[in-house]
Amino acid sequence: MISEHAHKAGEASYKGNAEEGIAYFRAFGVDESLFRAAFAAALSRGGDWADLYFEHGISQSISLKDHKVDSAFSSIGLGVGIRVVSGDQQGYAYTEDLSKDAVVRAASSAALIAESQSAASRFESQGFEVQTRANRYPISQEWMDVEVAQKVPLLTRLDEEVMASDQRISKVNIGLGHSTTAILIVESTGAIHFDRLPMTRMNLSCTAEDGEQRESNGYNLAGREGFEFINERRLEKLKTEAVNRTLFLLDAEQAPAGSMPVVLGAGSSGILLHEAIGHGMEADFNRKGISIYADRLNTRIAPKGVTIVDDGTRQHDRGAINLDDEGVEGQRTVLVEDGILRSYMHDRISAAHYGVKPTGNGRRESFKHTPVPRMRSTYMCAGKYDPQEIIKSVKRGIYAETFTNGQVMIGAGDFTFYIKTGYMIEDGKLTRPIKDTNIIGNGPEVLERTDMVGSDFEYDEGGWVCGKDGQSVPVSLGMPTVRVSEMTVGGVNA
Amino acid sequence: MSELLDQARRVAEKARALGAQEAKVVASRSRGVDVEWRDGQLERLSDTTDQSLSVSLYVDGRFSTHSTSDLRPESVETFLSQAIELTRYLEEDPARSLPDPSGYEGRSTVDLELFDPNYEQVSGEMRRTEVAELEALARQASTHLGDKVISVSSTVGDQFSEGARVHTNGFEGARQGTTFGASVSINLKEDDGKRPVGGGYSYRRHRSDLRSFEDIVAEAVESAEGKLGAQKVKTGSYTVIVKNKSISRLLGALLGPLSGAALHNKRSLWEGKLNTQIVSPLLSLHDLPHVPRGLGSAKWDGDGYVTHDRPIIENGVLKTYLIGDYYAKKMSQERGMQIQRNGSGLHNFQWSYGEQDLKALIADIGEGVLIDRFLGGNSNGTTGKLSFGCGGHMIRGGQLAEPLTEVNMSGDIAGLWSNLVAIGNDAYPEGSAHSPSCVFKQVQLSGV
Repeated sequence: MISEHAHKAGEASYKGNAEEGIAYFRAFGVDESLFRAAFAAALSRGGDWADLYFEHGISQSISLKDHKVDSAFSSIGLGVGIRVVSGDQQGYAYTEDLSKDAVVRAASSAALIAESQSAASRFESQGFEVQTRANRYPISQEWMDVEVAQKVPLLTRLDEEVMASDQRISKVNIGLGHSTTAILIVESTGAIHFDRLPMTRMNLSCTAEDGEQRESNGYNLAGREGFEFINERRLEKLKTEAVNRTLFLLDAEQAPAGSMPVVLGAGSSGILLHEAIGHGMEADFNRKGISIYADRLNTRIAPKGVTIVDDGTRQHDRGAINLDDEGVEGQRTVLVEDGILRSYMHDRISAAHYGVKPTGNGRRESFKHTPVPRMRSTYMCAGKYDPQEIIKSVKRGIYAETFTNGQVMIGAGDFTFYIKTGYMIEDGKLTRPIKDTNIIGNGPEVLERTDMVGSDFEYDEGGWVCGKDGQSVPVSLGMPTVRVSEMTVGGVNA
Repeated sequence: MSELLDQARRVAEKARALGAQEAKVVASRSRGVDVEWRDGQLERLSDTTDQSLSVSLYVDGRFSTHSTSDLRPESVETFLSQAIELTRYLEEDPARSLPDPSGYEGRSTVDLELFDPNYEQVSGEMRRTEVAELEALARQASTHLGDKVISVSSTVGDQFSEGARVHTNGFEGARQGTTFGASVSINLKEDDGKRPVGGGYSYRRHRSDLRSFEDIVAEAVESAEGKLGAQKVKTGSYTVIVKNKSISRLLGALLGPLSGAALHNKRSLWEGKLNTQIVSPLLSLHDLPHVPRGLGSAKWDGDGYVTHDRPIIENGVLKTYLIGDYYAKKMSQERGMQIQRNGSGLHNFQWSYGEQDLKALIADIGEGVLIDRFLGGNSNGTTGKLSFGCGGHMIRGGQLAEPLTEVNMSGDIAGLWSNLVAIGNDAYPEGSAHSPSCVFKQVQLSGV
């Protein structure tokens, strides 16, 4: 009784792949009888609803060091996660054994969360219906059709070009990795969702030496594409950015310490949003009352002109999703509109708690984890200021250009991000290069101090990974040039 | 256990039959149960089982590693065939070969007590009762905070894991272990809307070794309450005490650049520093792999070589790098000289503990800052530069004063650890680092 249902008229149907998906998992013994048995066990003690999350992921990577592509890694992940939900409570179990006995055993463990009347009998004749979606990551050339022999020359060519680009480069490491993850989500309502998520990532790092001085840095690119991800523009960017960012460090110093204006360059400074506002707007933290934004909905949290979006719809973007890991369609969610907090990021549980529709943010690292509200591609929309005007407005401060990592304390709102490269701003001009400087601030305070937003919006193409509750998921970010009137710069020589 | 060992042997032999000259195989499985309780009711219950197979292949002078959780027999054979085929496309690496079997000999016979024989007696009912008790205890211990308390949650969990390793040149080993954990979080709300959180936890090999719930709760209450009314520090240079439970962040910055990968890739500030003074003579750090019930205890390392007690730093002098079999061979070939393989793994630490507890250290420095948490930031192992976010308390007149937040610590790894002027006697009871509180002079902090 598996049928197909075009979920959204007018969009390119994903029907073909939905059919493929059912067949795909049937090869692992997954069929309707397994669904029924699993749900009967999962809801044997009651519960509001349950879902099954089947996953089969294949990944492969090769790497170059010392001018040779001499190591490779591959992995296969197969399993099912079973969740039983009763109000805000969740019972969860997973197994890597997809036999009926093992799946029913896991479902019975997840069922222990509930303590009411059995809802199992309704699954004796449950019908299942395949949902279809728009496809935001169509593939031109599948990685499975690409021989390793085709990949190796890409890396060796890059290595040669990087080594030839500057005699101070003494070491080069390059990695190329790709994965394809098939997921089949079955809801106790009978809805079935299928998706196939590609990801390609390249990274290049190098070490430069100049006399006694030595520095290392790198660059990486990622997106939901197949072999076509590798093109001349990206290879050139990877090489140029990695070399320039490394050589830059030879002339740079840590920033001065203290409180000062910070101008964030367009693109990867979207990490500010991710840490300062993004995590605090994930609805699970707000549902529990432990986020600093818990009672700020529909209030002003940023100056007029600041609009922040979390978006799962950007084609081929690293944070794009056709559907989230609960089967909810990936969407574009406006979090902050002209300075007003308009929405949290919801999974099904938090959406039910707040009485709103889920926003398609229920994501998980794999079948080994429960879905929780997570970001996708988080960015601030362009404003009205010329970026040069923003820099000119600063008497003494720093211009932050590239970043490596960040972290936040959800409740207190304190967050950090680490500047790998940037410049001092003195009398409205970029002057001395700076490096390796942490910046710390408080999310709501920093948003209130975001007083100039540039017109030069830029997405970052990097392979960002977001960690939460012990789970990692791919995300992306973007930002125009912005000025924050005051932040604490973790520099030296106070 | 023997079943896993048999599985690993079969896969190793199959890899050889399919064309690999040598192979390393690790078969493992585990079961974990966690229960979370929040604000008087069950929040989440999870019960998970894992299985996996990891294979390293040596094929015609080439090398690759692979893992799978699809253990159906027909899938494993396909997995191995494809992995071997992939390896043949790679370039040769003369440094890739199985470790010398002589390193496998002399394995310790001490009982590491990694498995708690009482594990099977833990029931779902016990977990539910305990997790509810822990939350109730935390709520009771924070009643003096009144309506500042907005949420209290607790977790209780346990895990059983077992694994077997086989190398086709003679190494065989199997082990099983248990871990038990309990934690509590207390979320508060301040008048300005900030919602600081404090936590306490315990995590041990044996259930009976867990700290008392009262200790865990006391740690959480102190941590949460200590963040109320926090202010920024005045930018400047301070004498700083880094509390025992937080010192691991600075320890990681110190030890990370000792790895074979960092040295090989010219990303280590410690290159050429073996047997030289790299930090304060107060610091001695020994690695002890055979501590019974130790969270980091192991009789063999990732190469299969037997582990030994060893000094890492002795009176400030660097005594060893952390170089595994592969990078030792790689660097030996590259540099035309013998680079000693001395094991890449770290296990349990023994420090050169001092005489004073934290209270005495605070009284002793008189004026300064106590850092009790780190937040973000990074360190550069190539140059040694570091910049970390942190928080804690001012120290005035030998006592803790106002709480601090949004603090940045900056400097360099060598300079910071060279300015170590005192070590406490207060080894943190959790984890494998057994870190004491440490006092550093002239630390750059920035705030307002």
